[in-house]
Amino acid sequence: MASSSSSGLTFKLHPLVIVNISDHYTRVKSQMNPPPLTSTSTTVNGVEPLQQAPRVYGCVIGVQRGRTVEIFNSFELLYDPSTHSLDRPFLEKKQELYKKVFPHFYILGWYSTGSDAQESDMHIHKALMDINESPLYVLLNPTINPAQKDLPVTIYESELHVIDGIPQLIFVRSSYTIETVEAERISVDHVAHLKPSDGGSAATQLAAHLTGIHSAIKMLNSRIRVLHHYLVGMQKGDVPCENSLLRQVSSLLRRLPAIESEKFQDDFLMEYNDTLLITYLAMFTNCSSTMNELVDKFNTAYDRHSRRGGRTAFI
Amino acid sequence: MEGLVTQIQGLSGTASDVLSLQNLLKQADDSLHAESTRLPPFLDQLDPSKHSLGYLYFLEACTAGPVTQEQASSFVLTIARFISSCVAEQIRLAPDKFISVCKRFKDQVLLLEEPLRGVAPMLTAIRKLQLSSEHLTALHPEFLLLCLLSKCYKTALSILDEDIFEVDQPRDLFLYCYYGGMISIGQKQFRKALELLHNVVTAPMSTVNAIAVEAFKKYILVSLIHHGQFPTNLPKYASSGAQRNLKTLCQPYVELASSYSNGKIADLETYVEANKDKFESDNNLGLVKQAVSSMYKRNIQRLTQTYLTLSLQDIANRVQLNSPKEAEMHVLQMIKDGEIYATINQKDGMVRFLEDPEQYKTCEMIERIGSSIQRLMTVSKKLNVMDELMSCDPLYLAKAGRERQRFDFDDFDNVPPRYNI
Repeated sequence: MASSSSSGLTFKLHPLVIVNISDHYTRVKSQMNPPPLTSTSTTVNGVEPLQQAPRVYGCVIGVQRGRTVEIFNSFELLYDPSTHSLDRPFLEKKQELYKKVFPHFYILGWYSTGSDAQESDMHIHKALMDINESPLYVLLNPTINPAQKDLPVTIYESELHVIDGIPQLIFVRSSYTIETVEAERISVDHVAHLKPSDGGSAATQLAAHLTGIHSAIKMLNSRIRVLHHYLVGMQKGDVPCENSLLRQVSSLLRRLPAIESEKFQDDFLMEYNDTLLITYLAMFTNCSSTMNELVDKFNTAYDRHSRRGGRTAFI
Repeated sequence: MEGLVTQIQGLSGTASDVLSLQNLLKQADDSLHAESTRLPPFLDQLDPSKHSLGYLYFLEACTAGPVTQEQASSFVLTIARFISSCVAEQIRLAPDKFISVCKRFKDQVLLLEEPLRGVAPMLTAIRKLQLSSEHLTALHPEFLLLCLLSKCYKTALSILDEDIFEVDQPRDLFLYCYYGGMISIGQKQFRKALELLHNVVTAPMSTVNAIAVEAFKKYILVSLIHHGQFPTNLPKYASSGAQRNLKTLCQPYVELASSYSNGKIADLETYVEANKDKFESDNNLGLVKQAVSSMYKRNIQRLTQTYLTLSLQDIANRVQLNSPKEAEMHVLQMIKDGEIYATINQKDGMVRFLEDPEQYKTCEMIERIGSSIQRLMTVSKKLNVMDELMSCDPLYLAKAGRERQRFDFDDFDNVPPRYNI
């Protein structure tokens, strides 16, 4: 079903769409009835518990300029399981509302979640063909695969291929790039830093912050070392002298120190001392606790008159 | 005998030769001891800087017997020369012989009543015997004893400044810390004295020993002088034997401490007069007098917490001094020592108490804190190593295993039977 597309269109996907889809999926999944505790508990209303991985559906909207298709935004749709199609009146009402706010955006296609494109998706795809002759199908794979390096998002287009003598529409995969505006970049950055994988207490946030600073300083250090090496080589004569580079280096060096005043020096030293004192205090606490444990162990092992017997058992 | 000498001269070249030489010497040790009187002329044939191990064996056999006064001075010279020129690696192969030679050296020096002659050689001996500066050898307390008797305290301070992490024998540690405490008291470094005496008192001991009792008496007095108070209970890392018995053995001192905490100088002085001979028999009378005079300092410090300004006359009255002039002398001394922060206005005789002017804004403070953090990191690493060692100690595991609860909370089943070693 998936081979590479030959339409020659370039696709640009905004992170907002990805965040929207994943948010939709997460919300639906967490609002589902929880799975039954044990096999003996009764089912609710005689209905079997839902599947663990619900599928969510929605529309993607954006702009097409020439050969470039840019997907800016998305909204959710209701899926009607009886007719295996999306709720049409709802779609049209939503489309009108969005047209009022974003007059330039068109419906470019639809999205869903799952691991791979399925046959039943073609129905929905064809249904949308009257709005857009060649809709897109954006598929997000919600299973978390820690080994995977790229985003679990694929964009499919439909193409007419002849299979077994019958012309059929099949899905073909297309490549895409991620495009951001400044606002999106800031918010994605914010979300990425604020939520470490195991749920962010203050300690891990501080550690993440300090790790970031540490890697930044390390990179700065290595870059300066490269420059230094180059300048030493230039001084020794191994490298031909280039005045423009020298001018750039000298202007770079003259940018520091940025502030040079009495008050700055005072405040800077005071803050430096505060940080050092806190580190000192933390080390002290650490050391004292180790020593405390050591002394306890020593007393248990070697002191003849320590408390005898164990704690009594209690039920 | 001559054969042995030639063997020593031949085999003192490389490290492997020296090891084989050591085996030979061990076997020949008894014959050396048997002929100890004949040995001194052979010593001249050996060169201490090249044949240190052989020389050591010969020297040890020579000095084994009783020594007369004339022999003592010649031996002192020989041993001193040997210590200064011997090779450290060869010495460390036979440490106990070296230690016994040095101890006899100390005895002879004391016999000649010239402890000063022994100080420098003993210091060199320590440096050669030590594996690292954190290692406490049996020679450390001997060295400190010589320094005490010859009253050269400053050389001792250089040794006392080093941190100790490894100890050969517990008795060495007790003696070392006790003598070190006395030396620090002599130099008026009360903080260091307190630290050393604290080590003696809280060191692990299965039964209370006499060194700890004497140290405890001095510990009480020094803590009164330095801190102005004495904690009535020893910390929990002191051995239980010490916790129970030391206080009963040093009863007069404990009572002195309690009357000190009342704050009245007159009571303290009467108590001291009453028990004077007890203090004197322990050689602690000087310290006791210092403790009494430190009472004034304590009271002045207490005043800084209540008042912002005070006249000299008031200070004299409150602290029970005789005149404002004396009060001024005391306050001046305390300002110079850095114990309080104040300014004296001589025109109207008022003293104004100030806050600690340290702003923690300077580069020196950064360096101080930085170096403290480094020291703390090394200590922390060592502590972690010790903690791991202790967790694997079979004695500890046996006792800890015995104390497990009988029932596991989660499933009310029996925990498997106790861990038997």
